[in-house]
Amino acid sequence: MKAVPLRSDAKPKVAGAASVMIEIDRVSQVFKTSTRRDHLALSDISLKIEDGAFVSILGPSGCGKSTLLYIVGGFVAPTSGTARMRGRPITGPGPDRGPVFQEFALFPWKNVLGNVMYGLLQQGAGREQAEAQSGELLKMVGLEGYENFYPKELSGGMKQRVALARTLAYRPEVLLMDEPFGSLDAHTRTRLQNDLLNIWERDRKTVLFVTHSVDEAVFLSDKVVMMTQTPGRIRQVIDIDLPRPRVRTDLLLDPRYQKCVVDIERMFDDVDSGGSQP
Amino acid sequence: MKPTGIWRVAPLLACLGLLVVWQAAALALRNDSFPTALDAIRAIPSILGDKESLINIMASLRRMVIGFALAVAISVPLGLMMGRSRAVAAFFNPLLMVIYPVPKAALMPIIMLWLGVGDVSKTLVIFLGVSLPVIYHSFEGARAVEEKMIWSGAAMGLSTVQRMFRIILPAALPEILTGCRTGLVLALITMVTSEMIARQSGAGNILFNALDMGQYDTVFAMIIIVGAMGICLDTAFERIRARLVRWSEPSFNMPLSFS
Repeated sequence: MKAVPLRSDAKPKVAGAASVMIEIDRVSQVFKTSTRRDHLALSDISLKIEDGAFVSILGPSGCGKSTLLYIVGGFVAPTSGTARMRGRPITGPGPDRGPVFQEFALFPWKNVLGNVMYGLLQQGAGREQAEAQSGELLKMVGLEGYENFYPKELSGGMKQRVALARTLAYRPEVLLMDEPFGSLDAHTRTRLQNDLLNIWERDRKTVLFVTHSVDEAVFLSDKVVMMTQTPGRIRQVIDIDLPRPRVRTDLLLDPRYQKCVVDIERMFDDVDSGGSQP
Repeated sequence: MKPTGIWRVAPLLACLGLLVVWQAAALALRNDSFPTALDAIRAIPSILGDKESLINIMASLRRMVIGFALAVAISVPLGLMMGRSRAVAAFFNPLLMVIYPVPKAALMPIIMLWLGVGDVSKTLVIFLGVSLPVIYHSFEGARAVEEKMIWSGAAMGLSTVQRMFRIILPAALPEILTGCRTGLVLALITMVTSEMIARQSGAGNILFNALDMGQYDTVFAMIIIVGAMGICLDTAFERIRARLVRWSEPSFNMPLSFS
């Protein structure tokens, strides 16, 4: 593997010019329940995600939003329909799509450095190079000096920072984030949201971000995909036209941000109470 | 946490206490078939100094090591595969459920009939004795591996086989080694039992020959020797285990408070 500079130049965002990175095409997912009945988790989802976009999938728990992410990751095969990446059907996991899970899923037998290096070494990078790149990533996520700590010695927020660095290390084109801050306390969550945005601003990777928090979705995203309760359908796709780079404290005072959050929250209440389909 | 002060010598004190009780009981009962602790201990050097006995004990250990190693080499991959594949589990589970409750020494007569009373039969019984706990713990260990940890590896480009050896195996290692530790003690037990049944050589053979000849101090000395072997093997294994899975042991340090 060639040494790629850690921060590529941020792509200028030109409206309408971005190419489609991920295309979800009439995807449905049926699960067998424990009582052997069919449960329709996702129904006929079609969605296009542009290169470099930060897209959040927002919905009540159990609406299948994580399943949708797993289908894009290639971890779960859809019952019908296809997901494509750059036009090619997704048939399994690959290093072009890097997941970050709510459960961190770190390798507990590896220390922090070993975790971050894992993907790089797997991709054929030399040890020295992997160490150097991982060290830089750890600095970026604010964990310089923690190289030799084991996951059990870290707090939840630190674990998720390591998980993010581990995934960024092998340079996926798309980041798949599955409620990554869902298990963290409010203060830590806010800090990680800020840091994620700062990191994202550097190279504007495509991000698919699953969450059930309205303000998290609005704060981070270019687009929010609102889903309905079981079976999961897309209720509405909302463009978030707030200027970037975003500063949380500024946004909180910004009436446009407030309106966005309130609008989506009302829609969310509607969806949650089993509201009407569009 | 390392034991300190009094707790370090506690096991020694317990052993010493046991010997004192034994000595007192033997002196009080004054029975030929119950030698005193001192008599039994005095008989140890003569056993360990005897070339014939040493060869026997070494032969026992060799069978035990071979049986144990073979069992681990086969059971760990089998258990891991059972833990990750429903089909493999469905195939082997019923088979193992039938074998599990059968005392392996009870199979000895049939095995002797087919394979003779030599090393092969005894090693096979040890193998069977060790296999089941190792399979079971490897199975449970593999089953408990977080799906998302495996997915993380898959996203990095690890193949199915690589995931088995580089993610599932290390992640399940604490559980696997717990099974191996149980297996090691069972290896010792089945070793002695097999030699009691197929009396041809080994530590169990010395023990029962001495019993036949009424050399009760030798009988008790052999029990001490076999027991000491068990304690030494277990302690050595526990050291290795603790070293290998230090990353998983709960630490008493508070996690660092830092987001």
